Amino acid sequence: MRNLFIALIVSFSLALNAASKPTNNELKIGISQEFETLNPVIMTMVASSYMHYAVGRRLVNMDPNNKWVPQITKEIPSIENGLAKIITEGGKKKIQTQWEILENVKWGDGKPVTCEDIAFTRKVALTPTISVGEKETYSQIERIDIDAKNKNKCTFTYEKAKWDHYTLGTFYLLPKHLEEGVYEKYKNQKEGYEKNSNYVKNPTNPGLYNGPYVVSEVKLGDHVSMIPNKFFYGESAKIKKIIFRIIPNTGTLEANLRSGTIDMISVLGLTFDQALELEKKVKSENLDFIVKMEPSSVHEHIDLNLDNPILKDVRVRKAMATAIDKDQLVKSFFDNRQPASMHFMTSNDPWFTNDPKFVTSYKFSKRTAAKMLEEAGWKEGKDGYRYKDGKKLSLVFMTTAGNKTREAVQTYLQNQWKAVGIEVVPKNEPGRVFFGETTKKRKFDMAMYAWVSSPENTPRSTLHSSSIASEKNGWSGQNYPGWKNARMDKLIDDMDLEFNPKKRLELAWEMQKLYTEDLPALPLYYRADNAVIPKNLKNYRLTGHQFSETNEIEKWSLE
Amino acid sequence: MTTYILRRLIQTLVVIVLLSYVCFYLMTLMPGDPVELMIQSNPKITSEDIARLRDLYGLDQPAYQRYGSWVKTILSGDLGYSRTYRVPVQELMGPRLWNTFYLSFLSLGLSLLIALPMGIYSALKPGSKVDYLVNFFSFGGISIPSFWLGLMLIIIFAVQLGVLPAGGTETIGVSDSATNWSILFDRMKYLILPTLSLSVQQIGGFVRYVRSSMMEAMRNDFIRTAKAKGLERGVVIWKHGFRNALIPLITIIALSFSGLFSGAILTETVFAYQGVGKLVYDSIMANDYNVAMISFIISVSMVLLMNLLADILYGFADPRITYN
Repeated sequence: MRNLFIALIVSFSLALNAASKPTNNELKIGISQEFETLNPVIMTMVASSYMHYAVGRRLVNMDPNNKWVPQITKEIPSIENGLAKIITEGGKKKIQTQWEILENVKWGDGKPVTCEDIAFTRKVALTPTISVGEKETYSQIERIDIDAKNKNKCTFTYEKAKWDHYTLGTFYLLPKHLEEGVYEKYKNQKEGYEKNSNYVKNPTNPGLYNGPYVVSEVKLGDHVSMIPNKFFYGESAKIKKIIFRIIPNTGTLEANLRSGTIDMISVLGLTFDQALELEKKVKSENLDFIVKMEPSSVHEHIDLNLDNPILKDVRVRKAMATAIDKDQLVKSFFDNRQPASMHFMTSNDPWFTNDPKFVTSYKFSKRTAAKMLEEAGWKEGKDGYRYKDGKKLSLVFMTTAGNKTREAVQTYLQNQWKAVGIEVVPKNEPGRVFFGETTKKRKFDMAMYAWVSSPENTPRSTLHSSSIASEKNGWSGQNYPGWKNARMDKLIDDMDLEFNPKKRLELAWEMQKLYTEDLPALPLYYRADNAVIPKNLKNYRLTGHQFSETNEIEKWSLE
Repeated sequence: MTTYILRRLIQTLVVIVLLSYVCFYLMTLMPGDPVELMIQSNPKITSEDIARLRDLYGLDQPAYQRYGSWVKTILSGDLGYSRTYRVPVQELMGPRLWNTFYLSFLSLGLSLLIALPMGIYSALKPGSKVDYLVNFFSFGGISIPSFWLGLMLIIIFAVQLGVLPAGGTETIGVSDSATNWSILFDRMKYLILPTLSLSVQQIGGFVRYVRSSMMEAMRNDFIRTAKAKGLERGVVIWKHGFRNALIPLITIIALSFSGLFSGAILTETVFAYQGVGKLVYDSIMANDYNVAMISFIISVSMVLLMNLLADILYGFADPRITYN
């Protein structure tokens, strides 16, 4: 009976806790996406890396101002500071960089982080039996030489002399003292390491993490709890417990927030329209939340298949761009919170330009669009659509089925193109078919979706002709329009080897010029990240890029 | 009887093997594979990476060879490895299967507890006010979309009244600091809304089945004879009426029990309940073969075993049925 009474009291107090205002004792963050194991070499899910920023630190990182900054290292090597130098080995130009890890960087069990951990991580990632997604990050480092006198100092030799060598330091480290035993035991067994890694078998071992927090509880599919890492080298974390909780249905995130089940909604939560709706309620009901929005590096666009005889003609592509009223689109659909885009680079990218000297913009004009089509030989028929040699100007327009925003934008664009005589037939598919088959194998006329890019990123995978997906390359490239432009290829190749930042900028501007002149895709708008935070949460800042705000989680405070 | 059960069990095993291959083969026909998902999330993946990963996962082999390797792994006692969650399947599915079982069992139990007396009463008083009321609520229960009902329950009980949690499986950290009783109370608290949401639909369906089978049974000549013999009303209803109404009910209830481990994807998603329903959906969508196949085997086995159980129970309900 006594136990029963205690149980009731505990249940009641838990219920009260859930409804109270968050304090530095605990912050419950809602995410709508699933996460996997937190082994940083193996993980591929966005939610996993979002959470891992709270428990892991790397050699370099990009801050919310889009600037590369050293994290666990003293300095980012560069030719200017003398820590990077170009060498010639075997007749090949290579680059060597010197890294030094800060003395006080430790794993969560107090063991120091050294260059041996870096070398071990690279060794694990390059092991053929371990299913690491992208190995280039590790394989571009030809060798790592550790200073015999100081294990915190090491020299990387990269196989190519590329200007962005330091961005390869964005991989997380594995603790050699904990993971080496598992690796040695299972390295010859197919997927043996990932099945038996401490991140799977003993994920709450603090020694696995070197960030401001360590994992204290993991329930896959439900939540991850974290507590401050007492050996963290930087500013101490203010919040005593962080819980990332999955609420898979975005429609119930708001109810969970208002009932106190979660205290905030992360960027991996609400859709844009849900965030806008909630923002209105926050204002009208004077709720204790702030809805944050920040233009992101996600670019929504329409890929045009340049193998299509209609779309092969650049005049048609330009006419289509001119027929879209993007200002009206972003105003009516997004309340001007998701800006219209001009090309593939986002406005917060240091390489971005909207200078008319470089960028061709297509001002909305039905009359100009119609004229362009006339010049291309597409004459208006009795039914209002255009024809050439008896063939109708008709295109199939595809996107992901069930995405409300995309489907609404699709209808809007269909009407705009209809007004200039272009028939657009929507044909939507589930994401899995759309990305797994249609875009991958380039079986589309027009495909609307989004790309994520990071600032100062060479667009090799999306714009270089060697990245045109084909059976020959295992459908691996992401140049889905099939754009072949020799000048663009050269610019991309030159960019990789250009160490002069000013010259790089010129190359980037010319890329934007070529892109906007040739229009292999129709730029639409930049998506905005959104998050809902408690009013009393301080020092929270959305980054707008893939290096999430959790990278600065130790600064957050609930006052 | 023993021979009959043994024969059916062997048949069940053969059906599971055949169906598992068909299912495996159909999954390989779906567009995309686990490597495709990696490509989507990381445009930097090279063609060499793709070839290496396909080889590592065995995706470049024909379906029958991959099926063979999967069976070999299963027979060695290893349920495989989830390529989506990067953990062994047993560790991923074990707790979720139990969570789903608790939810499904509670809602099924509650539904039967309510539906059986309601259906029988309604059948005995057809055309009465109670019958109309029962029918009204049954159709209402069947017609209400479960995700909508779930949302309404959350808004009323979690947001407006604040008496129940909006979602989850348990209060985070409760198991560290509380007694067994409080852990049990805590789990029950999280089960109330999803159970209610699931039960409302089930109750409607069960009431309709019970009502029609009972009405059918009560129309038989032997019921009239039993009444004419002057048997007590209770004996007529339960011994002669209800027992004869049991055959169709056993089928329906057995089939409902077969879904105990299958999960209720909508309810689990709306209530962020850590069950197997959404996991299975995600694993199929992500071509996470090992997880999808295990859940498929469980579902097929449950359906076949529950059908076998129903066949055995028919004999108890109706002595005219024999197993020779």
